[in-house]
Amino acid sequence: MAHKLKLHCDNVSKTFIQKGNQEVPVIRDVTLDVYENEFLVILGPGQCGKSTLLKIFAGLETPDTGYVTLDGQPIVGPGPDRGIVFQGYMLFAWKTVRDNVELGLKLRNIPKSERRDIGQHYIDMVGLTGFENHYPHQLSGGMKQRVGIARAYANSPNIMLLDEPFGQLDAQTRMFMQKETARIWEQERRTVIFVTNNIDEALYLGDRIILMEGKLPGTIKTSYDIDLPRPREHTNIDLLKLRATITDNTELVL
Amino acid sequence: MSGSSIANETIDHSKNREPFSFYKFITNKYFLNVVSIVAFLLIWDYVAKEKIFRDSLARPLEVVDQLYMLTYMKFAGTNLAGHIWASTQRVLIGFIAASIVAVPLGLFMALNKYVNAVVKPLFDLFKPMPPIAWVSIAILWFGIGEMSKVFIIIIGTFVPCLLNAYNGVRLVDPDLYDVVRVLGGNRRDEIFHVCFPASFPAVFAGLQISLSSAWTCVLAAELMNSRDGMGFLIKRGMDTHQPTLVLGGMVLIAAAAYGTSLLVTLLEKKLCPWKRTIENL
Amino acid sequence: MAYKEVTVKQPLLLTVLPYVSIAAFFIVWEFAVSSGVIPNELLASPSQVVSTFIDKLSNPNPDGAVMATHAWTSVQEAFIGYLLALLVGIPLGLAMGWFNVVEGLFRPIFELIRPIPPIAWIPLTVFWFGIGLAGKVFIIWIAGIVPCVINAYVGVRMTNPTLIQMARTYGANDWQIFTQLCIPSSLPMVFGALQLALAYCWTNLVAAELLAADSGLGFLITMGGRLGRPDIIVLGMICVGISGAIIGFIIDRVEKKLLAGIRR
Repeated sequence: MAHKLKLHCDNVSKTFIQKGNQEVPVIRDVTLDVYENEFLVILGPGQCGKSTLLKIFAGLETPDTGYVTLDGQPIVGPGPDRGIVFQGYMLFAWKTVRDNVELGLKLRNIPKSERRDIGQHYIDMVGLTGFENHYPHQLSGGMKQRVGIARAYANSPNIMLLDEPFGQLDAQTRMFMQKETARIWEQERRTVIFVTNNIDEALYLGDRIILMEGKLPGTIKTSYDIDLPRPREHTNIDLLKLRATITDNTELVL
Repeated sequence: MSGSSIANETIDHSKNREPFSFYKFITNKYFLNVVSIVAFLLIWDYVAKEKIFRDSLARPLEVVDQLYMLTYMKFAGTNLAGHIWASTQRVLIGFIAASIVAVPLGLFMALNKYVNAVVKPLFDLFKPMPPIAWVSIAILWFGIGEMSKVFIIIIGTFVPCLLNAYNGVRLVDPDLYDVVRVLGGNRRDEIFHVCFPASFPAVFAGLQISLSSAWTCVLAAELMNSRDGMGFLIKRGMDTHQPTLVLGGMVLIAAAAYGTSLLVTLLEKKLCPWKRTIENL
Repeated sequence: MAYKEVTVKQPLLLTVLPYVSIAAFFIVWEFAVSSGVIPNELLASPSQVVSTFIDKLSNPNPDGAVMATHAWTSVQEAFIGYLLALLVGIPLGLAMGWFNVVEGLFRPIFELIRPIPPIAWIPLTVFWFGIGLAGKVFIIWIAGIVPCVINAYVGVRMTNPTLIQMARTYGANDWQIFTQLCIPSSLPMVFGALQLALAYCWTNLVAAELLAADSGLGFLITMGGRLGRPDIIVLGMICVGISGAIIGFIIDRVEKKLLAGIRR
C-alpha cells in the first residue's frame, strides 16, 4: 500500500468513570494508521471499546493518553471534516429527510439554493428520491440509516466514520445496505472507517480489517489485508478461508 | 400523518363479514357507551326526582333549563356568556403570563447548571405548597379584584410549565448534541436545532397540566370571592341553595376546561407535525 | 469484574449555590419585613412565623384549635379520601383496561366527570354531607380517583402484547391473563398514580377546607385571612407544604420498597 497517510492514532488510551466513582479502562494503547481512500473495518465483539475509539477519532471524546492526527493536524474537537453515521440513526425527529440531510450545510451557512442541490444529490445517491418531505418516523430502519449516510456525505467530509451503522437492521436489509455502501464508496471515494461486530460485513466491505480483543480494555489484536476484487460475493472461497482464520483467532468472552 | 406511512407491506383493512350475533351486539363498544350515558342520566334524574338528597340535587333537564334561561336573562349584572368570559379571561391572562415566563426559565435552567443551582431549590421549596393555599394571602395583598385571581392562576400554572420545560430539555438524547457538533455546529446550534424542538412535546404536556390547574385555581378564587364568573354562579347557587345553578356552573366549567385543552392539543398538532399520535389518553 | 474506585469532584460552587440560594431567600424575606419594606400587615417575617408556630402549639386562640388538632384533622381527611380513591380507582382502572364491557360502561361517565375540577363539587357536598368529615372525604376521593383510574388503565393497556399472546398459547384464560400478567405488568404505572393522586388529594383538601370547615390547615389559612393575620396565613401555608412533602416522601419510600423487584 503506497498510499498517503490519512489518520494516525498514537498510543491512545481512555478510561471512563461509571456509576459516579468506578474507573473502567475502555481502550489501552491503540496505535493505528489509516491511508487515503482506504476502507478500514474495525471488527470486534460488543463491549470492546471500538465505538469509543471512533468517538475519539470524531473528537467527541478526548483520549487520556496518546493523540490522533488527521492529515497531520491533531484532532482537538468535532468538526465537519469528519462525517459520522451513528448506530441508532440519530436523526432529528422534528426535521424532514431534506432538512436532516441539509443540516450540516445549513450550519456552515451555505446559501439555500446550493444547499438544495447538494442535499438533493446525496438524497438521490442513497436512493431516497421522493421521500424528501417525509419525517423520520415515517421511514423504515434501512431508510433511516440511508438518511444518516446522506447527512454525513452531504457535508463532504475528508473521512467517514461509521459506527455499527447496520446494527439495528434485519439480515436482508443489512446485506442490501452493505451492497449499497460498497456502491456508494466506489462512486464517492473517501477514506472510510467502519466499525462492526459482524465478520461477514467486515469481509464484504473492508480493504483491511483490524481485529480488536474481545474484552475491556480494548486493544488491537491483529490486522488482515483483503486484496479481493469488488464487487465481492459472500460465498467467495478466498473470503471464506479468511473468515475461518479470523473466527479461529476470535475467542468469545461471555 | 398516520395515513402516509410507507411500510413495505400493504395492510388489508377489509374484514370478512361476521354473522349477526346478539352477544356481539350487546358487548359492542359504542352500544355500551350509549347504554352507559343513558343509564347515568336516568339514574341522576331518578335520584333527583325522588328527592333522595332532599332538594339538593336538580334533574338534568332543570339544569339545562336554568342554563338556557341565563343566556337571555341578566344574572348579577351579566348573562351567561359574560360569566363564561369573565372566568376564561382570568384563565387566559394568568396562563399566558405564567407560561411566557416559566417556559423560557425552565429551558434556561436546564441549559445552565449555575442558574439551575440557584433557582431549583427555591422551586423545590414552593412546589409542595398547593396553589390554592395562596388564596388568602393573595386577597390580603391584592384585595378582592382581578389581580388576586390572576395571581393565584399564575402561581398554579407556573410550576408545571417550568418543570416540564426543564425536564424536556434534560431528557433529550445527549447523542443528538454530538450529531450537531460533528456536523460543525456550535453551542447555539445545539440549542436551536436540538434542545428547543426536542423539548416541545414536554413543554406542551406541561401546558396541558397548567391549563387544568388554571381552571381549578380560577374556580377556587371565584368561590372565595367574586362578582362574576362561573365559580361565582356555583358559589351563588351554594349560598342561596339552588342546585340547578351549582350543577349548571359545574357543567359550564367542565366544558370550558375541556374546550381549552382541546385547543392546546390542536395547537400542538399544528406545531409538532413530527410527533406520533399516541392512542387514547 | 471489579473496577478501581475513584472520587469525582463537583465544582465547589455548584455544591454551595443551592444552600446560598435558600439562605438568601430567607434572609431577604426576614429583612424585607422587619425593615418595613413590605408592611407587616401584608407579610409576616420568618421569625414571626416561627414564634406564632410555637405559640399555636398550645394556644387555641384566635382560631379555635391548637396546631396539632388542625394538622390531625387535615391528615385524617386526606388519608381516608386517598385510601378510598385507591381502593376504588385502581381496581376500576385495571378492569377498564382489560374488560371491554367495563370500559364501554364506565369510560363515558368517567370522561364526563373528569374535566370537572374537584373543587366544583364543594357546594353539592356541603348540601349533601354538611361541612363535616364526610363531605371533605368525598371531595378528596373525587380528586384522587382520576389519576388512579387513568394510570391503572394505561398500565394494563401497555402490557406487552407478545406476552399476552404467549400466555394464550400456554392456554391461559382471560381471567388468568388479567391477574397473572396484566396486573403485575401495570404495577409501575399504578405506583406512579400513588404520588400523583396524593398531590391531587392534598391540593383539593386545602380548597375544601378553605370553603367549608371548622378545623384543619386550610381552615387555619382562611381564619388567618379573615382576621388579617399574615403570620397565621403563612404558618398555615408552610404547614400544608411541609406535611404534603412528608407524606409524599413516605409514599416514595413505600413505593421504592414495593417496586424493588419490578423496576430494574
